Amino acid sequence: MQRITVRPNIALHMLIGLLALLALAACTAPVAPAEAPAGDQAEAAPAEGEITVSVVTPYMANATTKYVIDRFQEDGQAKGWNVPVTDTNADFNELVSRIEDAVTQQVDAIVLGMGDPAQMTKGLETAKEAGIPVFGLDAGVAPGVVLNITSDNGQLGQVTAQYLAEQLGGEGNVVMFTHDPHPGVRARAEAAAAEFANYPGITIIEKKHIEVPGPVDFARSLTQDLLTAYPNDGDIAGIWAGWDEPALGAVQAIEAAGRDGILVVGIDGTDFAKEEIAKGGPFVATVQQDFDAMAAQLADIIAAYLAGEPPAEEQITIPGILITAENVNQ
Amino acid sequence: MTVESTTDNPPRRRSMSLWLRTYGTFIGLLAMVLIFSLLRPGVFLSVNNLRNIAEQVAILAIVSTTMTVVMVVGDFDLSVGALASLCGVIVADMLIKQLGLVPSIAIALAAGALAGALNGLLVAYAGLSAFVATLATMTAYRGLSLWYTDGSTLFSGIDEAFRPIGQGSTGPVPNSVLIMLGVLAVVWFVMEQTVFGRRLYAIGGNAEASFLAGVSVRRLRLIAFIISGVGAALAGIVLTSRLFSAHPTAGEPLMLTSIAAVFLGMTMFREGEPHVLGTFFGVLLLGVMNNGLNLLRVNSYIQQVITGVIIILAVLISGLARRGQR
Repeated sequence: MQRITVRPNIALHMLIGLLALLALAACTAPVAPAEAPAGDQAEAAPAEGEITVSVVTPYMANATTKYVIDRFQEDGQAKGWNVPVTDTNADFNELVSRIEDAVTQQVDAIVLGMGDPAQMTKGLETAKEAGIPVFGLDAGVAPGVVLNITSDNGQLGQVTAQYLAEQLGGEGNVVMFTHDPHPGVRARAEAAAAEFANYPGITIIEKKHIEVPGPVDFARSLTQDLLTAYPNDGDIAGIWAGWDEPALGAVQAIEAAGRDGILVVGIDGTDFAKEEIAKGGPFVATVQQDFDAMAAQLADIIAAYLAGEPPAEEQITIPGILITAENVNQ
Repeated sequence: MTVESTTDNPPRRRSMSLWLRTYGTFIGLLAMVLIFSLLRPGVFLSVNNLRNIAEQVAILAIVSTTMTVVMVVGDFDLSVGALASLCGVIVADMLIKQLGLVPSIAIALAAGALAGALNGLLVAYAGLSAFVATLATMTAYRGLSLWYTDGSTLFSGIDEAFRPIGQGSTGPVPNSVLIMLGVLAVVWFVMEQTVFGRRLYAIGGNAEASFLAGVSVRRLRLIAFIISGVGAALAGIVLTSRLFSAHPTAGEPLMLTSIAAVFLGMTMFREGEPHVLGTFFGVLLLGVMNNGLNLLRVNSYIQQVITGVIIILAVLISGLARRGQR
């Protein structure tokens, strides 16, 4: 009977608490969304007669997403629109709620700033029922999306893979850093793999999923482990990264380990990637998307749509520009 | 495990379950080390790889160690990941603004202490549950670092004097590992060897009884959160130096992983209480598993599944053993 006096199992209680919390976090996180820099505008109620084009994004913490959304916001504001931006920090469930909020506020159009529309069909349906058009800004094509404007992600993947393969003389083992849940990054990886297949001497030895948030540190630790798993010079000839952040992590690990002869390519043309390329280290190339053109064209397309001219196609692609040591300082 | 079996053979059953419960996580770690060493002979146990593992877990170990303090009291701190990002961003910005190494670090640590104090005030004095309070501040701190950086990465013009903290070595030991060991030693000493630490455990055991016994429960819970805040700040500083760039969400993965590490550590102790040393084993278990699976070239997705299964197994084994004891 003394056993009855045994204290409740704290660990078990806390575990139950933790599980409850995770469930809670999943559904209550939308209460206080991390506002994007343009948050103050999100608060402002649309004035009568003013056109509001609401931007929702799961990836504002990503430098590239931020850049293209900032450009779009400028282009929209230049047209006299109100362009509030909401970020959900990689939370797609919350993204649906934010789309529904925009529908409730009866905005004139909704823009998805990246993120796979297939993961937010509920929000898209709500918008469609309310007759509010949804446009993809480097997002994806899905039922309920009027038009998606994007870089040709396939071209970005292909051109960086081609450059890497040529720099390697068409021979060697290549590691790919991917993030398949993101449709753009997935398209890059597929095209890169197809391009590598054109070189019989190139072997893809690993495809690694990079976790976000925290891709730089994740890729850095992962690359450390890969360098240990493939310890000899030449075991790994190149690393192809689906975007610049994991490429940076890989470069840091290679430099810290003092390994020579491993080339890294990224995608996005971020400032830190350019700085690394200019240094002449393992980071040899990135490709810059033409976000200025992308944002400007989307603003024009939305303006035409609101004026009663819907676009003919559902996807428009814009090619990117390869950046290497030769043109990085231009 | 039935009641009969316990009464049939109580001493043997109990000693067996006690043994399993106490050493389950440790044995799990040893088994993992053994398996990885056998599967990748000469690679997994190489000095270089062990140094890599230590370096990879250092930041997580710092956060988990201070998280242990909060969990000893019976609370949680969900804001550590966002706070680590925020303090990492602050230190980078101060360094870019040429404030100098020591003032920049001091400001970031102070920000961590302040944010931790806010958590503590909300929980201990305003009476919010730790879940709700730190869930809310997590969101707020994340928002602050996104706002502070405008969502972008800070990398250009960081003072070079800052680099050795996360990238340098003293002798063969990475500096980040030395910082981790320092945090471990200090927190272990405070928790296990001082009256202050004993009181924190007393509050975790029974807050009301502690209060009646004259322990200032509120003040101590507040201090526990401040410690956690400073730990998160320190982790953010080391992370920023390691990457030599500050990303506004870089610290986020630390939150759930640090709580998992503390849980894994709790399985090692009879009372199921968090302990600094147990937490460190939890961190090592997670770090070794990650590194080993990478070395074995296991598919990235399957790695996550295996990690989840192993956490559940560890907790389950100790939980089963404890039920057997009753």
